[in-house]
Amino acid sequence: MQRFNFPVVQPDPALEELRGELQAFLKEEREAGNFRPEPECWMASADPEFSKKMGKRGWIGLTWSSQYGGHDKSALERYIVTEETLRSGAPVGAHWIADRQHAPMLLAHGTEEQKLDILPRIAAGECYFAIGLSEPGAGSDLANVKTKAEKVAEGWKINGQKIWSSGAHISHYMVALLRTSPADGRNRHIGLSQIMIDLSLPGVTIKPIVDLSGDAHFNEVYFEDVIVPDDCLLGEEGGGWKQVTGELAMERSGPERFLSSYITLETALYQLSGKMGSDSHARLGKLIASLRTLKGMSWGIANLLSQGVSPETEAALVKDLGNRLENDLTQQVRAMLNDLPTEDWSPDMRRIMNIGVLRSPPNTLRGGTTEVMRGITARQLGLR
Amino acid sequence: MINTEGMVAETATKIYTDLCDREVPHKAEAGEYPQALWDALAENGLPLAWVSEANGGFGADHDEVFGAIWASAQAASPVPFAETLIANWMLDRAGLAPADGSASFALSGHTPSADIPFGMHADKIVLFDEAHHEISLFDNRVAVRSPEEALSPDGMTQFVFSGHVAEQSAKTDLSRRAFEALILTVRAVQMAAAMESALNLSIDYVTQREQFGRPLSKFQAIQQQLAVAASECAAATMAAKQAASAIARHSDDPEQAWHEAVIAKVQIGHSVEAVTVPFHQVHGAMGYTQEYDLHHYTRRLWAWRDALGNEFHWSKRLGEALAVTSPDQIWKGVTTGQWIAS
Ligand SMILES: Cc1cc2nc3c(=O)[nH]c(=O)nc-3n(C[C@H](O)[C@H](O)[C@H](O)COP(=O)(O)OP(=O)(O)OC[C@H]3O[C@@H](n4cnc5c(N)ncnc54)[C@H](O)[C@@H]3O)c2cc1C
Repeated sequence: MQRFNFPVVQPDPALEELRGELQAFLKEEREAGNFRPEPECWMASADPEFSKKMGKRGWIGLTWSSQYGGHDKSALERYIVTEETLRSGAPVGAHWIADRQHAPMLLAHGTEEQKLDILPRIAAGECYFAIGLSEPGAGSDLANVKTKAEKVAEGWKINGQKIWSSGAHISHYMVALLRTSPADGRNRHIGLSQIMIDLSLPGVTIKPIVDLSGDAHFNEVYFEDVIVPDDCLLGEEGGGWKQVTGELAMERSGPERFLSSYITLETALYQLSGKMGSDSHARLGKLIASLRTLKGMSWGIANLLSQGVSPETEAALVKDLGNRLENDLTQQVRAMLNDLPTEDWSPDMRRIMNIGVLRSPPNTLRGGTTEVMRGITARQLGLR
Repeated sequence: MINTEGMVAETATKIYTDLCDREVPHKAEAGEYPQALWDALAENGLPLAWVSEANGGFGADHDEVFGAIWASAQAASPVPFAETLIANWMLDRAGLAPADGSASFALSGHTPSADIPFGMHADKIVLFDEAHHEISLFDNRVAVRSPEEALSPDGMTQFVFSGHVAEQSAKTDLSRRAFEALILTVRAVQMAAAMESALNLSIDYVTQREQFGRPLSKFQAIQQQLAVAASECAAATMAAKQAASAIARHSDDPEQAWHEAVIAKVQIGHSVEAVTVPFHQVHGAMGYTQEYDLHHYTRRLWAWRDALGNEFHWSKRLGEALAVTSPDQIWKGVTTGQWIAS
């Protein structure tokens, strides 16, 4: 008996063809100076022009049907696209969340009109979404959300505030977790719903928050008597909690949980070519062993997800291990670069290393903190 | 894969369940060798599972043999089951008949002697001599056997090959890397299985033991420690499964599975500290006793971590092998498991 469910999936040559096409495109774009590679590119590096190019090539919206602008491809093909774009540190931040999270959500819960209107724009790389879970008083304790949606004649009236909403300043919509009826006694999971909000509506104010490096990619979002039509309620009224936890399993196990800083390692490999000492060899060997193992775990989950199975604990394990690995990777590469005098580092190496260090704190926070992931695992172990 | 459901795996599991309850490893350490357990394995032909049919074995599917090894490690097998499987596979790959009885193995290093796991119990020793591309079979019963200092309850002896005449020898066309790949993979499977058993013991313990008026499992500090250990166990199992799959895919030329096997060795070797520390910590003083079962797993984990070179040695070897390939090839390996043999 094995406690956790991580199937091993054999290599698939068809997927490798797609990988080759992506590699060629990304190389060309990078060499043409159309982007500068960065760690954490899926979060902090957004370029709508680049997103449109990805859309034109058919690399957004792979999984949904052509009726809605998609490409009728599998989740595994989508996985290859995410993997390759992360590896090259490409500016995919604008469309990432909509493609990963909200398009599947609309397919499951949207009206026909919404699907026909929004999904093709997402697939074209022209329509972006923000995640509206966190609030000033609801971080790890997500069930504590206070932002309210009240039933009114025209639909839902929204009042309150969200915070840390990545990319909201460039997004067209937010899907927010809102309180649509009071909690039932101590059960705070009741009465929460997911509502899609057009961020261009009157009453919406978006204020970027500057991070410690001086960049601003997440935001405070205020709602003051914002009215959205009835059909913006996604899924069941009061079913928000269950929907959100299902969504998080997918969000937590993808390659962005362990490959965000791979670009730092790869840049260093070019720098260190032929100059690596034995200590660096050992660090490289250990990093690659961990990366390969996590790929196996994450890929196993991707295959389960594509069969409709959504393993929450396994996803939490991947996020916890993957986040630790990402932070460790930056540290190990810093040590490996000891083999080379700093004056020999290329400007790209310096820039990427600095960004890698500055962007390391959020790895173990966003998408649920390490402590919360371990709580999920502890529950599976029967300890809670 | 590690298939725990096939015939071979199920037979092994049944034998271990029936004949290796929790008292057996304790008694074995006290000097009461579980001959009945070994006899049952042998009567069912399990030590020949990896020997080709032409050579008198039953050429079982690799996945299932790994499943049998998984079961033996979870039972803290005090008999050289995995060692005999490896030794017989080595003999088979040189066209030699399988060992009569139990066996252990060695790869030739720089010295003409080797540390032999289960050296006090194995009837035969199989050696791969890299310099001469030769597999040799030695009779261990005629050797002067004295136990060496060993971390593992399975014990270890020194075998000095130069004073001995081989019973049989034959050339093999397999490389050292091919033998390393299989041996490291078997150890990885054993280690992942032992980790999971030790995790299960730890969970049982903290849910039963009460302090401050409630079970230890209700304390967040305990939950978080075991959750971290569980994540390391899950990673270990994945690493072992990937290595096992690579061996199954490349059964004709195990050298092709070398990278995945070394990755498993490195990944799991580095996890040993990360799991054995919390396992012992949450058990308090009880886990430090001879009487309790935890050490059957943790001592083996510490020993297997060092066997054939520790995690630092293999991290370096893997890094050296990768440093001479291109970043593109490294990426290909990470994403697909297809490594260019270098
Ligand atoms: C870069 C970035 C992007 C983000 N993007 C988004 C986004 O797009 N949309 C969105 O909704 N949110 C987003 N977030 C918010 C993120 O999900 C939260 O930061 C996270 O859930 C933690 O909440 P918090 O920051 O309020 O920390 P807190 O919940 O206040 O936690 C602080 C510390 O206490 C620990 N802690 C809290 N509760 C417990 C407990 N019960 N047991 C043990 N330890 C505990 C936490 O693990 C953490 O270490 C983003 C965050 C970052 C950093």
